[in-house]
Amino acid sequence: MQHIRNFSIIAHIDHGKSTLADRLIQACGALSDREMEEQVLDSMDLERERGITIKAQTAALHYKARDGQVYNLNLIDTPGHVDFSYEVSRSLSACEGALLVVDASQGVEAQTVANCYTAIEQNVEVIPVLNKIDLPAADPESARAEIEDVIGVDASEAVLCSAKTGIGIDEVLELVVAKVPPPKGDPDAPLKALIIDSWFDNYVGVVILIRVVDGVLKPKDRILLMSTGAQYPCDEVGVFTPRSVAREQLSAGEVGFVIAGIKELQAAKVGDTVTLANRPAGEPLPGFREIKPQVFAGLYPVESSEYDQLRESLEKLKLNDASLQFEPEVSQALGFGFRCGFLGMLHMDIVQERLERQFDMDLITTAPTVVYEVLMNSGETLRIENPAKLPDLSKVAEIREPIITATIFLPQDYVGPVITLCNQKRGMQVDMRYLGRQVQLVYDMPMNEVVMDFFDRLKSVSRGYASLDYEFKEYRLADLVKLDLMVGGEKVDALSVIVHRASAQYRGRELAAKLRGLIPRQMFDVPVQAAIGSHIIARETIKALRKNVLAKCYGGDISRKRKLLEKQKEGKKRMKQVGNVEIPQEAFLAVLRTDESK
Amino acid sequence: MTRKTIPITPAHAVRLEPAGTGQRIQLTASPPLALYIHYPWCVRKCPYCDFNSHTLRGDATPDTGLEARYIDALVADIESALPQVWGRRVHTVFIGGGTPSLMSAPALDRLLTAVRTLLPLDPMAEITLEANPGTFEAARFRDYRAAGVNRLSIGIQSFDDAALTRIGRIHDADQARRAVDIALTNFERVNLDIMYALPEQNMAAAMRDIDIAIATGVSHVSAYHLTLEPNTAFAHSPPPLPDSDLSADMQEAIEDRLAAAGFEHYETSAFARPGQQCRHNLNYWQFGDYLGIGAGAHGKLSSHEGIVREMRHKHPTRYLEAAARRDFVQERREVAAAELPFEFLMNALRLTDGVPTALFSARTGLPLSVIADRIDQAVAAGLLAADPLTLRPTEQGQRFLNDLLALFLPEAEAA
Repeated sequence: MQHIRNFSIIAHIDHGKSTLADRLIQACGALSDREMEEQVLDSMDLERERGITIKAQTAALHYKARDGQVYNLNLIDTPGHVDFSYEVSRSLSACEGALLVVDASQGVEAQTVANCYTAIEQNVEVIPVLNKIDLPAADPESARAEIEDVIGVDASEAVLCSAKTGIGIDEVLELVVAKVPPPKGDPDAPLKALIIDSWFDNYVGVVILIRVVDGVLKPKDRILLMSTGAQYPCDEVGVFTPRSVAREQLSAGEVGFVIAGIKELQAAKVGDTVTLANRPAGEPLPGFREIKPQVFAGLYPVESSEYDQLRESLEKLKLNDASLQFEPEVSQALGFGFRCGFLGMLHMDIVQERLERQFDMDLITTAPTVVYEVLMNSGETLRIENPAKLPDLSKVAEIREPIITATIFLPQDYVGPVITLCNQKRGMQVDMRYLGRQVQLVYDMPMNEVVMDFFDRLKSVSRGYASLDYEFKEYRLADLVKLDLMVGGEKVDALSVIVHRASAQYRGRELAAKLRGLIPRQMFDVPVQAAIGSHIIARETIKALRKNVLAKCYGGDISRKRKLLEKQKEGKKRMKQVGNVEIPQEAFLAVLRTDESK
Repeated sequence: MTRKTIPITPAHAVRLEPAGTGQRIQLTASPPLALYIHYPWCVRKCPYCDFNSHTLRGDATPDTGLEARYIDALVADIESALPQVWGRRVHTVFIGGGTPSLMSAPALDRLLTAVRTLLPLDPMAEITLEANPGTFEAARFRDYRAAGVNRLSIGIQSFDDAALTRIGRIHDADQARRAVDIALTNFERVNLDIMYALPEQNMAAAMRDIDIAIATGVSHVSAYHLTLEPNTAFAHSPPPLPDSDLSADMQEAIEDRLAAAGFEHYETSAFARPGQQCRHNLNYWQFGDYLGIGAGAHGKLSSHEGIVREMRHKHPTRYLEAAARRDFVQERREVAAAELPFEFLMNALRLTDGVPTALFSARTGLPLSVIADRIDQAVAAGLLAADPLTLRPTEQGQRFLNDLLALFLPEAEAA
């Protein structure tokens, strides 16, 4: 156990985590150059494109240190985005150390700080590493000062490295050996292992990545998952090098995988404790939480005939994404579809993109919404995931909305516009600190405002320099109303939004005006109205198109003119018919963007 | 959906019905036949033009022999097409382009003599020549008349110098007026092509153009909304155009003005004094037959075997090369029964008065029942007149002809 080092890498997107992981794996000779695929830890295409890691993966490395001894280094990968902060905390709690990778040319960012704090809370040893020192813009001294100012970690011994060129990689490994404490744990105690991650494999079913805290796990043991009480026979244990290699056992301090014939991913929950059925641990490891979707949206096939295909695609995605939820939903405007629950906006984007790319689906997505708690006069509390389902306000005692605590890091120059933005979004300032080159702002803010367009606008008012991290804080009473939109006199349920009463009038006018611009002119005038209950608060008219006719058609034009008309018709097919008005897809997302975001 | 070009073989000829309709077309009589002759060269290509036209370079003037070779090719083209139209009378001839008025009078005379010699041309046939201002010399137009041309269609587009410059025409307003004078001196039947919704054009300017056109005394006006066609210079970098409301206002004002002057609005963009409609174009819109000869010319020919569309080799150079091999046709395909209703209506419903309902079966060989449902839909939508004896767009249907026609588009085959 003295030769085991469990560590992960904390880094902001683009600060070079994946490249550094590749270098470490390469330096330990775990993969031959031929096998060394760039950025092996980020195996999914989408992740590669977006430069983020969604599923934590791991690599067990053998490193011969300068002291002549061989160490087992377990690199545990962590997801790098705000939507996945719970997964990050579980990954970190499986480690004794973490490399804090900071881009020497850019300095500290919000998620890095949030993850770093999580690490410190878990008593994980944080080892600063300044990456990208080969860049001309690298300023290691400022970055070092910033780490000390912002995070409060001693950075005087921070390693300077460049994962790209390979400078300093050996020093990083030496530091891991020297600074990361070896795991503590009792191999003779009853088995306690933390589920760091789980995923579905087509051949063996669910694969669980665990960190053994106490005890030993062998094939043929019968495992017990403590949160659900479910038992499974353990078929195989092993480690990733990053290729999977079977082992005879996993014992205290080690990180590896378990295959136990589990069919459903939801059965192996991240953060749960694995123990043995015949000799269970007294109590589970701390920190387990059921993760619940925070953001909901309706997904509808453009072609209603593709409903079954959409369900199958969602089922396939869910095989490998326990946090994705969906259930059938019927919209008057959009027909049959699914209300889907996501961890956050990024998660939603990823799911949507996979459906469109991997499964070739044409989708209409309604504007995302948070979950409201509605206390009825009857005393019953409802969770409302779809604005259209908000009960009649006369039966409602109160509506509570989720509040998040947002931490924003940004260069000083942008403090003014960012504060203005936070105020617009009904944010309440909790803290503001000047830290070296940067400012840290902490706001309590309705999550509803964040899913709207906060992130995009934050990026735009700060020219991309601000970084955001947030966590759920509480449900808070709010004066909210449902804003309905009617097109051609018909209520379009998929366009309903829940907004604060104070901004309802403005939003109603804004949305009606925006829809007027997005819905193509038809053969007749189309009124667009916004209403709260039966009270119309805004009205716009989409003026009738005057004509739609081809100026010329002679003997030679037949096939070309015909193609033109076919194209026109094809374009209309991608719209949804509501009453006798055709509404294009973009209109359903219009509710997302406020005018200021332009 | 891209359609494959299928060569006509007996095997194909018997398999006319496309998947889905199961219809077999049955034509009881040949439709009237027209002749279209394409002249593919212009002094310069206009930025909005998507027709098969090519700049006439210095080396291609009549005296280099190119003109003579082209006329030879056209004559050979007619000869090779004779079996397809054997015995059928030709009612109209239209020489379009390009700028056919670049042709020398003797060349045109030789061409029309060949047409009369080879084909049974109606003695009263309408023979139209397209002409562009800037190519008008009085003597040549007198000789065109003598060669047999009895109708002239002039690409005026505008009588406004600035507008003409913006749309890249080679002529100015003076030349436009002179061209009309020369035309009217030699021809009783003259059409003026006028375009509206031109770059930066306002209502007053559009009305000035139409007023001048009316004042010339011509018997036919074609008023086109300038359209940015794909693969043109304008589509590539669009000029600032009047918005759709203004251009719709222009259209309505132009229609009013022409109606007040005694013109009948008989097709989407065509206006004629009584009896002065273009018979050649009417034949297209009534889904008649036409033989198209010359570079890139399209033809549509019906026979007991079905309806065939063909296109000649498009590029003038390729066409001339192909002519040497007596191989004129670049593309030939049968029109599937499922496509015929749409093609028929795409033409017929352009006519203000539509066509007699019986013409549908006469021209397509299909029973009206194949479109009965869609006719009901179109009538219910207020786009088609509820008149069992004619197929005719309502006023709304004329303005929204694309929406009306979309109802008759064959459903795309399931992927």
